[in-house]
Amino acid sequence: MRRELGILAALVVGCVVLGISNPDFTGQSNVVNTLRQISMLGIFALGSAFVIITGGIDLSVGSVIGLTGVIIAKLSSHESGGLGHSLLVAIPVALGVALLIGLAQGLLITRLKLQPFIVTLGGMLLIRGVSQTVVQGATLSLGASPLVQLANGGLWSIDGDPLIPYPALMFLGAIAVGTYLLHFTVFGRYLYAIGGNRDAAKYSGIDVKKVETLAYVISAGLAGVAGIAYAAYIGQMSQQVGVAYELYAIAAVVLGGCSLRGGEGTVLGIVVGSAMMRVIDNGINMFQIPYEDQNGVPRLWRLNPNWTFVIVGGVILLAVVLDQVVHIMQAARRTRGAMPARLPVNLPKEPARPPLGG
Amino acid sequence: MSFEPAATAARAESATASRSPLLSMRGVSKRFPGVLALSGVSIDIYAGEVLALMGENGAGKSTLMNVLGGVLTADDGEFTLDGAPISLGSVRAAKGHGIALIHQELMLAPNLDIASNIFLGNEQKRLLQPLARTEMNRRAAALLARVGLRLPPTTPVSTLTTGQQQLVEVAKALSVESRIIVMDEPTSSLAAAESEQLFAIIHQLRADGIGIVYISHRMEEVLALSDRISVMRDGRNAGELSRADASYDKIVALMVGRELSGAYFPIKTEKEPGEVMLTVEGLRVPGAPEGVSFSVRGGEILGFAGLVGSGRTELMEALFGVTPGHGGQMSVEGQPFAPRSPRDAIARGVYLVPEDRKRHGLVLPMSVAENASLPSVGVRARFGVVNRSADQRLAETEVKRLHIKTPSIHQKVVTLSGGNQQKVVIGKWLAMSPKVLILDEPTRGIDVGAKAEIYRHMAELAAEGIAILMVSSDLEEVIGMSDRVVVMHERRLKGVLGRAQLTQQRIASLMTGQLATEGLTGT
Repeated sequence: MRRELGILAALVVGCVVLGISNPDFTGQSNVVNTLRQISMLGIFALGSAFVIITGGIDLSVGSVIGLTGVIIAKLSSHESGGLGHSLLVAIPVALGVALLIGLAQGLLITRLKLQPFIVTLGGMLLIRGVSQTVVQGATLSLGASPLVQLANGGLWSIDGDPLIPYPALMFLGAIAVGTYLLHFTVFGRYLYAIGGNRDAAKYSGIDVKKVETLAYVISAGLAGVAGIAYAAYIGQMSQQVGVAYELYAIAAVVLGGCSLRGGEGTVLGIVVGSAMMRVIDNGINMFQIPYEDQNGVPRLWRLNPNWTFVIVGGVILLAVVLDQVVHIMQAARRTRGAMPARLPVNLPKEPARPPLGG
Repeated sequence: MSFEPAATAARAESATASRSPLLSMRGVSKRFPGVLALSGVSIDIYAGEVLALMGENGAGKSTLMNVLGGVLTADDGEFTLDGAPISLGSVRAAKGHGIALIHQELMLAPNLDIASNIFLGNEQKRLLQPLARTEMNRRAAALLARVGLRLPPTTPVSTLTTGQQQLVEVAKALSVESRIIVMDEPTSSLAAAESEQLFAIIHQLRADGIGIVYISHRMEEVLALSDRISVMRDGRNAGELSRADASYDKIVALMVGRELSGAYFPIKTEKEPGEVMLTVEGLRVPGAPEGVSFSVRGGEILGFAGLVGSGRTELMEALFGVTPGHGGQMSVEGQPFAPRSPRDAIARGVYLVPEDRKRHGLVLPMSVAENASLPSVGVRARFGVVNRSADQRLAETEVKRLHIKTPSIHQKVVTLSGGNQQKVVIGKWLAMSPKVLILDEPTRGIDVGAKAEIYRHMAELAAEGIAILMVSSDLEEVIGMSDRVVVMHERRLKGVLGRAQLTQQRIASLMTGQLATEGLTGT
């Protein structure tokens, strides 16, 4: 929990600083918008975490997000290029495709013993290409589809603006299911055991292949769910939707305390990690310091948005460095506290031996 | 072995008396999480002398050797070379002082050729300069001639036998003009002829004035080869013997801390053998030349003796379904048994405590409770939800039953000592009422006290009617614990010895292939 609590504290401090720096940060529209962004990232980051906890990696997440949206748009849109089917057809088909992608990748990885990196890299490119052929390089508009309400609507509207956007509800659902699966079920225990020591898991009689395959299915499935939300949010589906999102997911998950070696991480951490990623993003736009120029005119100093990636990358590196430093210090303390090797219990004490002389 | 021990001993004594040590270690200590691996160890190494380092598994020999080679840094202690203090803070520093380590698991890159391996890290070139292939091959050829390996230096290492690889390691040590060569169990996986060749090379090196530290479990080798024998126990110096004083009994007494080790094993009581629990008929283990057959009754401890590489672990893994055997028949309690995976074996009550507990037995970052409950967590779960309180009760029970020393059941197993880790592995199977329990090297790397406890638990389990298969490379352990012993040699079953026939000599001659197959009919 150390890592989770550390990043949570950093998040709270960051939010307080941003709130003081710019009152708009805590304004309703910014809060709701940031919450929506956190939620959409969090949903698929949580999926990625299932794979990362087993010690694997899923690079196809962003492409699955894109393809889900593209399929929904293609099937349901009444605009040009759309087939005009009901959303009740389009959404299940899109989710089904996502789950099948996860299953196919999972089977390739576990049955043929291929490396997850390569399989999902291939998947990432291939699926992106499929999206491209579906949209034919153009965009597919969802038009006035009721789906658009999913991203922009929500509960408890004030002046027509929702306080709790629907994606946040979806994220809450994913958190509930994720917490249950990872922290309460046998399946979750097996995921951690496989990530901690795949061989020991096999020697304990765990069906490693099945459990691992399911992790990839869940990853792709949650990417599909996130894809629905992004389709609703963006409204115009092109082949570019979701590019590089898998890397955001990995960053969020690692920020939240998962290890890419596997076997570590909690849902709380993943939620906090996702929030951190989006608050940093938002904070770069929001952060401001008032000052007076040489003419005494009050002005606002703002961050240059070109620094976004520098800051995001820096925060990630800082987090893992701090974590590792604490880890090394703890290990050293444990070593110092080690007890001398115990003498045999059932043996008579031997007389003291003279020290060896040189 | 064909050298004269008397002459060597005399030479060693005069050498020790007249010269100061080449390298001297004083008060070396090293701590690991949960264990003090070395405690004030002092050792002298003389030029032109073979010092044998002996001790049971876990006595600290390998730690000491790694400290010497700069792989591990000592927490305490002084090192002097030629009387001048030195520090051994890194592998590079140790190499710079002329200390070369030859690990039990050879550290060669199988994808490179002999010459590249010999000069790996010592190419005498800057990083971006081309390799001097011709020069390397020429020098490698000279070194290979010196160690008696008649192969072109361009031979890929992956095509060499273990013995040949060992010689490449020696050549590598010679390439940097090492003054001290440390060998860890060099003969553990060598054939007899290869061992003889290695001994000849060691004699040659000694004559050249190199100080050799020879770590081995093999008493005959040590007695024949060494000038001086230093014994370690529980991370301390247990004593030192000159070649003239050394005898099998004296060394064993120092190793185990008492003259006779009989009291160490639980007293065997004559008991009615139970029903036949497991029968194996003509089981073909992948890679084995022929099928093996044996059976074991409930309440019986069946020992498996043999050298490293004799196929015992492979046989056990076939019984546990890790690498399914082909051909042959097996049955558990009279019902056909053909495990295709560990799951199948576990479903029938056949469990394995693996040889490499850190790799196959435990999820190190998980807690004692999580590890102990891992194979049976699904059994106690309701609708797929882990039953935490039941799992913790199970862990408490096993911690109590096996006297596992842990601050709590929530402690991560990575912080426990080897003996307590092993007990956690055993505990996870005891909770599932074993019918057949396979223990592969159950006391490897475990201190003497924990060993005695594990022996006691094994005897208790057998008394409960469990059939136990125990693989062990420790002959004393095999004889002390087993009701019958299966001896394996080169993946063949060489004999099944009953209690009356169990002697070290008999087992040793069977497992080294010197004696023809015997007692195969005994069940």
